[in-house]
Amino acid sequence: MVTLDETFEQFEEEETDVHLGSTLSGRKRLFSKELRCMMYGFGDDQNPYTESVDLLEDLVIEFITEMTHKAMEVGRTGRVQVEDIVFLVRKDSRKYARVKDLLTMNEELKKARKAFDEVKYAGETPVS
Amino acid sequence: MDSIFSRAESAHDKDDGVKCGLESLEVKDDQSLRNEAVGSQDSFSSVKLENDPESSFARSDSDQDQYNDDQDNDNDHDHDQDQDNDETGDTHLNRAASALEDILSNTSSFSKPAASTKSDMKDNSESNDAFHESIMLPKSCSSDKRDKKKEMKSRRELEEEEREKMQVLVSNFTEEQLDRYEMYRRSAFPKAAIKRLMQTITGCSVSQNVVIAMSGIAKVFVGEIVEEALDVMETQGESGPLQPKHLREAIRRLRLKGQIPNGRPRKPMFHF
Repeated sequence: MVTLDETFEQFEEEETDVHLGSTLSGRKRLFSKELRCMMYGFGDDQNPYTESVDLLEDLVIEFITEMTHKAMEVGRTGRVQVEDIVFLVRKDSRKYARVKDLLTMNEELKKARKAFDEVKYAGETPVS
Repeated sequence: MDSIFSRAESAHDKDDGVKCGLESLEVKDDQSLRNEAVGSQDSFSSVKLENDPESSFARSDSDQDQYNDDQDNDNDHDHDQDQDNDETGDTHLNRAASALEDILSNTSSFSKPAASTKSDMKDNSESNDAFHESIMLPKSCSSDKRDKKKEMKSRRELEEEEREKMQVLVSNFTEEQLDRYEMYRRSAFPKAAIKRLMQTITGCSVSQNVVIAMSGIAKVFVGEIVEEALDVMETQGESGPLQPKHLREAIRRLRLKGQIPNGRPRKPMFHF
């Protein structure tokens, strides 16, 4: 239901702002809701302007596209692997630290889940 | 005779070596220094070792003990009295230099001091094991482990301290601040959309870790832009929701800093 509202809005916008029809903004809005929450979390107003959200979304998509293209050239060509991404952000301390944190936490969570499942399995077998 | 001359020359080098050692000491945590004077003493002894691998250790051992005792007294004395590293740097050096000259007059020639890195210390201590057997080996070997353990402990301690500080901070948030903090922590890009986007670009599948890494980086990216844009808005003296002009100015500034990947600048297509 929310997506239907979004497409309605988008139709209206497209009719009025046809000259903005570059390939990026012609695409359906992928991150509108999440970006609004994110902008509020980072310090913006509770209701950010729609134009600001759109601008940021275009920027994020361009960022991801650039990173992906660069990652495809680095390391194993044609594929994107985690090491490539870590290599690409090595100079930016904030992003590098964040990636390291995320990957470490992911590993820990996987281990915890596995251990939990094993315990559960061990607990179930005598009963069954 | 030759040894005396080379000793005189190396006296200056020795001072520099001590300076390096002292600087490394001062850079360490005050806490760890106060708690573990023995540890700092060991690092000093290992610095001294790396400075004179060629000296005869039987003779210099006793002097090193003397040296260590002097240093121990100096360290305790200094750290009990002085909180400020900048001011006591000179007094440290003076005391150390005078202690050194006493030793230098007694012991044999010293070689040039190398840059004090952990690996250098280790290599030297390992190569001189036979000489160190009697007195120095237990200290130098365990000091490495102890130093590492201390580093691990202080890292853990730092992490715990930071967690405690965060807890105290969050517990004192107002309602609005709590709301904003919750949004900050919980907001994230949808993994499915990112995965779909990346697969459209690459043409082949991407693993889950890649998607996790990319969404994390994208969030940091958004944060950097929004923070810079808020700065721009503040500089211009405006308030309220962010406007596209603030965002564009922020993007321009970050591009100059090199934080925004702009691909390869293409050659102009048309010549005029």
